[in-house]
Amino acid sequence: MASSIADQRARACCTLLTQVHAITDKEGITPSALHAIKLKLVALAAKAHLFPPGDFAMPVAQGRTHPLLVEENDGHGLYLTINLPGKEAAPHDHGIWCVNAGISGRERHVFYRRTDDGGTRGSATVMRVGEVMVEPGCGMAMADHDIHSTEVIGKEPAIGLALYGYALARFPAVAWFHTEFSSMRVCSSRRHAAAAA
Amino acid sequence: MARAAKIFQVSIKNNGQVISCAADETILHAAIVAGIDYPYACASGNCGTCISQLDAGKVTMLPRGDAAISAAQVKAGQTLACRARPKGDVAITWLGRGRR
Repeated sequence: MASSIADQRARACCTLLTQVHAITDKEGITPSALHAIKLKLVALAAKAHLFPPGDFAMPVAQGRTHPLLVEENDGHGLYLTINLPGKEAAPHDHGIWCVNAGISGRERHVFYRRTDDGGTRGSATVMRVGEVMVEPGCGMAMADHDIHSTEVIGKEPAIGLALYGYALARFPAVAWFHTEFSSMRVCSSRRHAAAAA
Repeated sequence: MARAAKIFQVSIKNNGQVISCAADETILHAAIVAGIDYPYACASGNCGTCISQLDAGKVTMLPRGDAAISAAQVKAGQTLACRARPKGDVAITWLGRGRR
């Protein structure tokens, strides 16, 4: 009997995380490891039949994240993200590594480098250093404190896969950077609350 | 020549200040420009740090993530200052206290 799409998807997600652990167990979280993980995630995202739109509710507003496979404790979190045209995120880091891959639509990721010395609380300056379009066949990878902004391009929803070093519910503090005001604001870490729950 | 956006008055109840905000400007942006220490973090509709109660007036909302504010919160008159543009004079109260 043919297995359901959901079963196939679950198996594919498990296989991905097994491959990811094999990579990181061997070489840690290095640029080459993140690149290898990105290629695995892009390959999974290319199997669009495993992620039919009917299985994932569209956002109530303009952005929604669906968990696909969230490991326990300090394990990884794999999600399907849906962002509608116009949805954006200001420059930020995640405090943890992150890899994205496109299933459909287009999302521009712009990368920045911090240019101040971090000596003034609440202040920061960043400089644009590059960009990547996350779309079918393409992805991007970021280390813990790499900084990116995102913006959905075009008239189609940007649907993709996002893999984080920690589950979203156990995220460290996320730092947001605002070039117009040379400011930095931090969203509190969720790790203590998650550990206590 | 482009027409200048209308300017509205925004009353911020937490500190009693009244600021000007253009129809094409977010309330958070106008507050920061006015030197107000309004709580915020992402300033792009993702984190919910600037969640506020709309005490009077109406706003339009720029795109935002579902996790930043729920439909029930919007129905209860809450908004995100970073996504809210005034449609007329507005009174607003920030509900959280951001961290730097």
